[in-house]
Amino acid sequence: MLLEVQNLKKNYGNRTVVNIPSLGINQGEAVGLVGNNGAGKTTLFRMILDLIRPTEGKVLSNGEDVSKSDQWKAYTGSFVDEGFVIDYLTPEEYFDFIGQINHLSRAAIQEQLNKFAEVFNDEILKKGKYIRDLSKGNKNKVGIAASLLANPQLLILDEPFANLDPTTQIRLKKLIREYKAHDVTMFISSHDLNHVTEVCDRIVILEKGVVVKDLITSQDTLKELESYFAA
Amino acid sequence: MFKIFLEHQWKEFWRGRNKAGSLAAKIFMMIIVAYFLLLALGLGFFMKQILKDVFPGTEPIQSFNGVILYYFLADFLMRIQLQELPTLSIQPYLTINIRKKVLINFLNGKALMSFFNVAPLIVFLPFCLTTIASSLGAMATLGYIVTICSLILFNNFLLVYTKRKANDNLALLAGGLVTVLVLGALDYFKIISISALSNLLFQKIAQYPFLALIFTGMALLVYRINTKFLYSNLFLEEMTKKEAVKTATDYPFLNRFGEVGQLAALELKLILRHKRSKSAIMMSFAFVLYGFFFYKPEFIAEDRFAMMMFAAIFMTGIFQIAYGQYMFAWQSAHFDGLMANRINYKNFIRAKFLLFTIAATLVTMLTMFYGIMSWKLIVLHLVIYLYNIGFGAVIVLFFANYNKKRLDLSKGGTFNWQGVGATQWILGIPLIALPFLIYLPFGMNNQPFWGLIAIGLFGLITLSLRELWVNLLTKLFSKQRYSIAEGFRE
Repeated sequence: MLLEVQNLKKNYGNRTVVNIPSLGINQGEAVGLVGNNGAGKTTLFRMILDLIRPTEGKVLSNGEDVSKSDQWKAYTGSFVDEGFVIDYLTPEEYFDFIGQINHLSRAAIQEQLNKFAEVFNDEILKKGKYIRDLSKGNKNKVGIAASLLANPQLLILDEPFANLDPTTQIRLKKLIREYKAHDVTMFISSHDLNHVTEVCDRIVILEKGVVVKDLITSQDTLKELESYFAA
Repeated sequence: MFKIFLEHQWKEFWRGRNKAGSLAAKIFMMIIVAYFLLLALGLGFFMKQILKDVFPGTEPIQSFNGVILYYFLADFLMRIQLQELPTLSIQPYLTINIRKKVLINFLNGKALMSFFNVAPLIVFLPFCLTTIASSLGAMATLGYIVTICSLILFNNFLLVYTKRKANDNLALLAGGLVTVLVLGALDYFKIISISALSNLLFQKIAQYPFLALIFTGMALLVYRINTKFLYSNLFLEEMTKKEAVKTATDYPFLNRFGEVGQLAALELKLILRHKRSKSAIMMSFAFVLYGFFFYKPEFIAEDRFAMMMFAAIFMTGIFQIAYGQYMFAWQSAHFDGLMANRINYKNFIRAKFLLFTIAATLVTMLTMFYGIMSWKLIVLHLVIYLYNIGFGAVIVLFFANYNKKRLDLSKGGTFNWQGVGATQWILGIPLIALPFLIYLPFGMNNQPFWGLIAIGLFGLITLSLRELWVNLLTKLFSKQRYSIAEGFRE
């Protein structure tokens, strides 16, 4: 198992926002996380990325506690929100920086970015702008590209489709599937039930911090999800 | 409406992330202000006696006249460094049904609630109401009072305007600072005499009290300018100016430090690409002129380093104080991203040290021009430099771990002035106190140079222990980073 959540609990005051006794993600699996606002999706992601200290329990990545060792950072790419991009850099500088700390050569960085040419749609590179001056959707593109830059084994994305135009959503979906074909393990949240069922092999529904459903994606999954959320 | 604003600010303060820290800072400031108000009170009531003692053989009224303009010149200089600007998170109020005028009046009104506006009243009014009233009559007294009050308002709004504007326009602030300093220097070298000017002015006012209204007019004028500036800066989003093409920058010098250098370069870009940090740094550079006030020829001749140390620490360590206290907060907008990426925390801390070292080296080199006054000052600065990069940086980074308040650099500068003022200097106290303590035993035993050597040695030893500090700070940081990140997310 690549990612394993054990007895994970997060309380704010006497309110429990995440309470997951056990959840595992296998190597190469693409798991979608859905749930209404306040279900605890982002908090869960932040605990997986060791940005929030759990009240109880732990997250194991490749068998190691993420809060004890930095090993997981070498093979994990993530984009949760705008707070992940350094917005006073130009996109080029930012990709360079991320590439450098992951010990990539300029050529390797360029090669990775070439894969994003379609998604970027000529709106990101060589524009002579800082990231902070880009639109929300374009900032997202930068963040997602950066998360994939170092060819991660594990990819964590919180609502990657939000703020993107329809064309880009479709292109991004295609790209994510390509990475999946290369055995990248994924944990992706989305409010768009369509996208998430198309991309993921498995869907986890979170409600009030608790996993209420864990489905293997099939032809009926979308209907099942729709009826769940309509109720 | 004002009551609601105050209520919101009250809640903002008490519900804020860094409550304990900001509360301690507030209490500390209150004690200092109380102390100075007491001093002002003493000065006010014994003004006549003090003037007689300081300027023997001159009529007290004449010396009093001479002092007033001086006071307001110094007052402005002090305000630049210490007066805090009123802030209001303006955004949420702009789209709801509140007239802009109300918001602006609130900001202007709050700007008046400052120690600097009360102190001159306490200092000058008693003398006006007693000595001047009895010897020059009621109308003259009224003239004095109106002039003094107008000067207070003039200084207040000029400062508020300058400081706000400085966010867009550093040259203006530098210009203001230089003007005041040049005036002071001209007076110091007896090329012009501010006291003679001041004396002449108030003699005229005593003769023709209505002249005081000229100052009222001046005060009204800056008030109007300030209000107009606020009006034009209240929009939700500024019209973006035509922007120059941004190009990627590389600092080859830093590349040789590997990941540490990359992180330092990242931060250097942060400083240079935000108005807020840029003005914090530029303001600091203005302080390299501080020495001219503190380095008196007799101090240099008699090796009285204790009297000069304050200025030396201040000038060479200013970057650490002004920038360092928000060490992590400057990066609050992308702190999560830094933490989730493959960055070694040790290198993260090392990069901060590297940045401090570079900044301290630059400023110290800059202050070498004091060598014209005496070689002793060069020694003093070098010794303090060693202290700053050796241990000063450790103190600053230690405290930075406890600052969990988000610093929003993306917001427009005009209303974003948190922590630029007196509170900013509190961190400087331990930084400044320590070398004094080291020097003190030597200084008292008349061994000034041994005192300097002791500080230098202390600096060198702590510098050679840097890896130890890095380890300790990394440990502390690993523990603190969750709550820092949480604070920055808000």
